[in-house]
Amino acid sequence: MSLSFTGERSLGDLSQRRSRIGLVIGSGGIKCTMAIGLLKVLAHEGIPVDVAVGCSGGAIYAGLYALGDDVRDMEARSLVVWRDLFTKLHYRSLARAIAPAFFGYHEQVGLVDDRRVWDVLESQFGMRTFADCRMPFFVAATDYRTGEKVTLSEGRVIDAVRASIAIPLLLRAWPVQDRLLVDGGASNPLPIDIAIMEGCDIILAMGFESHMTADVGSFTQAIGRTSTIVTNHLLRATFAFYSTAHHAEVLPIVPLLDRDVGITEWEQVPYLIEQGEKAAYEQIPYLRRLLASQGAEPAVVAPMQRAVSAEIGATSPSTWRSTRPAAPSASPPASPPASPPASLSASLSAAPPASLSASPPASPPA
Amino acid sequence: MVAITGSIDALTADTLVTALLDELQAGHIRLVAHFAGVEYTSSAGLRVLLTTLKDARQRGGDLRLAEIRPNVKQVLDLSGFTSILKCYAEVSMAVASFPK
Amino acid sequence: MSRPGVALVIGSGGVKCAASIGLMRCLHSEDIPIDLVVGCSGGAIYAAAIALGLDAASAASMTTTLWTRDVTSQPDRRALLSLVFPKWFGFDGRFGLKKDTILNERLAQGFGNATFADCKIPLFITATDFRTGEQVTITEGRIADAVRASIAIPFAFPPWEVNGRLCVDGFLSDPLPVGVAIREGAHVIVAMGFESPNQERITSGGRFAFQLSSIMTNNLLRASFAFHGLAHHSEVIAVLPQFSQRIRLFDTGKIPMLIDEGEAAMREQLPYLRRLLAASSAPQTTGAP
Repeated sequence: MSLSFTGERSLGDLSQRRSRIGLVIGSGGIKCTMAIGLLKVLAHEGIPVDVAVGCSGGAIYAGLYALGDDVRDMEARSLVVWRDLFTKLHYRSLARAIAPAFFGYHEQVGLVDDRRVWDVLESQFGMRTFADCRMPFFVAATDYRTGEKVTLSEGRVIDAVRASIAIPLLLRAWPVQDRLLVDGGASNPLPIDIAIMEGCDIILAMGFESHMTADVGSFTQAIGRTSTIVTNHLLRATFAFYSTAHHAEVLPIVPLLDRDVGITEWEQVPYLIEQGEKAAYEQIPYLRRLLASQGAEPAVVAPMQRAVSAEIGATSPSTWRSTRPAAPSASPPASPPASPPASLSASLSAAPPASLSASPPASPPA
Repeated sequence: MVAITGSIDALTADTLVTALLDELQAGHIRLVAHFAGVEYTSSAGLRVLLTTLKDARQRGGDLRLAEIRPNVKQVLDLSGFTSILKCYAEVSMAVASFPK
Repeated sequence: MSRPGVALVIGSGGVKCAASIGLMRCLHSEDIPIDLVVGCSGGAIYAAAIALGLDAASAASMTTTLWTRDVTSQPDRRALLSLVFPKWFGFDGRFGLKKDTILNERLAQGFGNATFADCKIPLFITATDFRTGEQVTITEGRIADAVRASIAIPFAFPPWEVNGRLCVDGFLSDPLPVGVAIREGAHVIVAMGFESPNQERITSGGRFAFQLSSIMTNNLLRASFAFHGLAHHSEVIAVLPQFSQRIRLFDTGKIPMLIDEGEAAMREQLPYLRRLLAASSAPQTTGAP
């Protein structure tokens, strides 16, 4: 894991040129179809994207987007894609996994019929390559032997996507060059670091946390639960590190669902797309303010000046009110003050821009 | 106690950190941030919160949060903040949590 | 003002966690106090021992009697049957392939009825809530219960209920819980953590599952440690003993070697640690307390 700390940068740097915008879609199985909702919103709002990154299921949609496919076509095809991808479970492989002595263990064991998966991916991607993409595109995978994260950015898109969605035990690991690759989610579920390394200043990051089912009533559910717990924590830990260490402005879109959606429940795809759209819309007001703030301010603005203009509040996007206490309490140097600290009100409300096309829906209850 | 309302993001971060730093420099090193009015936060916003947190701790105090909205809490969880600082359901509980 | 000390965090790592006894021994001999201790999974055993004030020799002998191969020797046949016929044999969330009778006896032997209130310094033991996946920080009640919850290795031992929460091994939520020390106001933090080794040859579904689990928890360990190092206002010193040989889960015969390696690893960090502690006890220029 590389540590690259660039320190704090005030907004003055962003205002000198248009920001480089990155789109990152993380791992999440069938929940990745929520990304179709996000892509619809980006198209509708005319948000430009400069770099696309995908991990596991997210690589499917980041890839189709990077290749320039129409999002309405993606939506129309989505039900069929997910119905065909995971409905056929390959039980012979499952038996092999459990009783290797009888059936012979092989590193590349998988539950799902590989040929079918390949056919589905081929119907979406054909033999198009990374070079055919209209923007830089990157796919995150994991080296099975070392556990390291691996970034794929050349060759056929179908190979990279197939490697990245190789969820262990569901799909066989996929050899690429001299490595055996599995699900990107095992090392880097929401790879904003790739977008950061490609120089993105603003990153739209759609990630998916797995839902806890109510009860654990079987062994496979127990395995699923344990895996879900670790995956969610890995998502948070990697996200926390990258978003804190680097200067990029990351807008996380992690929709809260009211139900668990299993990988074979393709009928839920329309619901998922709708949830993705809703969650994406919640980011639009701030994203617009961010983009509007470029070119509207002088090239070099020191932070204190910004605070002053914020108080006046005429053209600046943020306003600030402060009520200071009449007589601040003097605290003795030797011991902490006995009374609670004095009150201060800092209001950072943003006036919505006039061009807002849709009001963000209320957040769903936790 | 600091009541913050609105959005903590790249556009408002400088304003917020200045306000909080003023508090710390005035000697109010045990800060409770009342988050009920915070509607939104992004990574840039959280970075300044972290700057304040570290500053307060370096001075022997702390920063604690109270009354966080569910959507904001989700971002705090995702960004690792709930693992490194104390959050409370009510401001009174946060204030009471500081040792006398 | 009292001498500044360190907060100690001992992560999961099975018997390798015994290296923390060496770490403690080194700090004691250098007269550096441990102000607070956090333990996860195997590390919880040693964190508790340190918090209770056991010296290095007592802690070492406690480990040797507690952690023997027969702890996991009794398969739970009913549990095995419930794998195949979940409804008939009542598979539920409290699933474990091994019986935990011996483990529970050993914990009772080691810790008796000692509670968190008996600790000389604040103790924090982490586990994972099986229902929500959240990290659980245990700070009260019987120590044997807290440790049992923290080392509830998934599929090996049944989960353990503490304060109304069904707990499994702490390593699932964070193998090295430095965040807890940060949250509790620690200054200089010394953290001892262990990565799971890569499987040598993957010859079965079981080994495959271990490899996968190692990949994910190692990545979690690194990311979480990196974040906490960044987020802390003071220093987090990682003490990573180098073991020249492979340590298997029950190699208690290797404990003396583990302890020595732990001490050596701590000794390497001593010069920097001393400078840090000296700097933190210097008078503040801002005038704040």
